[in-house]
Amino acid sequence: MRTCQITACRAAMLALVLLCATAGSAVAQWLSVPVPGTPRAADGKPNLNAPTPRVADGKPDLSGIWRADTMRYNDNLLPPGTQAPMLPWAAELYKYRVDTRGFDRPMTFCMPHGVPDAMTVAGLPFKILQIPGETVVLFEEFHKYRQIHTDGRQLPVDPDPAWYGYSIGRWEGETFVVDTAGFKEGSWLDNSGHPHTEALHTTERFHRINFGRMDLEVNIEDPKAYTRPWKSDTLHFLLQPDTELLEHLCENNRDLQHLQDYWQRQQQAVPPATGKQ
Amino acid sequence: MKARLAILMCVASIAAPGLAVAHHSFAAEFDENQPVKLTGTVTKVEWTNPHIWFFIDVKSQDGTVANWGFEMGGPGQLLRAGWKRDTMKIGDVVTVEARRARDGTTHANAQNVVLNSTGQRLFAASSQGQ
Repeated sequence: MRTCQITACRAAMLALVLLCATAGSAVAQWLSVPVPGTPRAADGKPNLNAPTPRVADGKPDLSGIWRADTMRYNDNLLPPGTQAPMLPWAAELYKYRVDTRGFDRPMTFCMPHGVPDAMTVAGLPFKILQIPGETVVLFEEFHKYRQIHTDGRQLPVDPDPAWYGYSIGRWEGETFVVDTAGFKEGSWLDNSGHPHTEALHTTERFHRINFGRMDLEVNIEDPKAYTRPWKSDTLHFLLQPDTELLEHLCENNRDLQHLQDYWQRQQQAVPPATGKQ
Repeated sequence: MKARLAILMCVASIAAPGLAVAHHSFAAEFDENQPVKLTGTVTKVEWTNPHIWFFIDVKSQDGTVANWGFEMGGPGQLLRAGWKRDTMKIGDVVTVEARRARDGTTHANAQNVVLNSTGQRLFAASSQGQ
C-alpha cells in the first residue's frame, strides 16, 4: 500500500513536471515533448549522463535526436590544421570552391548535404531510429532520410549511383560500423568543398558514449580524388532530449538568384576546366 | 512562489539556445565586414523555409524611404530560439543588426531583431560563420 502511494506520488510529480515542460503554445508542446524511455533525475529533467541505452540483444541503441556540438565539422571535415591528400584536379576544384566562398554548394540549389556532412549541420538535427534489420537516419534538412541495412546483406555490385549511396551496418563491440558506397557525384564532403567521385567509399564508426553523447569518426576512401584514405576529425554529437524534428523544406529560395547574379559578375565564377571528371 | 520559480526554471530549461544554420553559404552572399543597424517599419514577413525573409521601410534623414530585406534562419530554428510566426507583424517598428549583401543591394543577413515596442531582442539564427 505504502509502495503504491509513493509510486503514485512520484508519478504525480513527474506528470506535474512534464505538464510544466509542455505548458504553453501548441508550438512549445511540439518543441518540448516528453520522450518515453528517457532517464530522468528526481526533478524530472533528462539525465544525459545516464548509461548508454541498449536494445533487446544487448547492443547499444543509437536511437534519438542528435545534433553536432559545433558547426566546425560542417565547415571542414578534417581535424584543424590538416589537409586532405587531394589529387591535382580535386585540389584545383577545392581551391575554386574556397575562393568563391562556396556560392554554388548543393544547398544553394536546394540539394541536401550528403554523407557524412548531413549529420554535421548543427542547426538542423537528425533522428536515428534503430530497429531490427535496419537503422534509419531522418535528417531535418530538407526532410531527407538515409537507410543503413543491418540484415546481413552486402553492398550492391554496380549500383545505380545515389546521393547518399548504399549503406550496410554491423557491430564491432560497442561500435556501429557503417560502410557506404555507390555514391553519385555532386555532394560535397563538407561546406569547404572537398569533392568526391563515384569511387567514394565511406566507413563511419559510431560510438554512443552515454545517454547524451555520441562520437563518430569517418574514413574517406576515394582513389579517384585522393592519393590515400583519410580520416575525419572526431565528430561529437549531443542528444536533444524531449523534443521533435521540425519541417525544413526549400519553398522560398531567394538566395539562388542573388548568389548567381553576384558571382556570375565575378570573373572567378568560371569553374576550372578540369574540375569535373 | 516555489511553484512559480520551478515553472520559470522549467521553461528556461526547455528554451533551447539558438543555432545558426544556412542552406547556402553566408560568406558568398553577405559581407561580415559590412555591418548595418537599421530601424524601420515592417512591410512584409515571409515565414518560410529554408529562410525567413522580412522587409522594412527605412526612412533616411532626407526623408526618402528605402525598403530593406533581411534574411534569417528557417522557421524551425527561430521557433527553437523563442520566436512565433506572429512575433513580428506588419506595422511593427523594429531595429535590426545585420550584415549587408555583397551585391550592394538593400538586402542583408539579420543577426538579431529588437521589437522597439517592448525592447525584446530576438536571435535571428544567422548563418554567419558558415
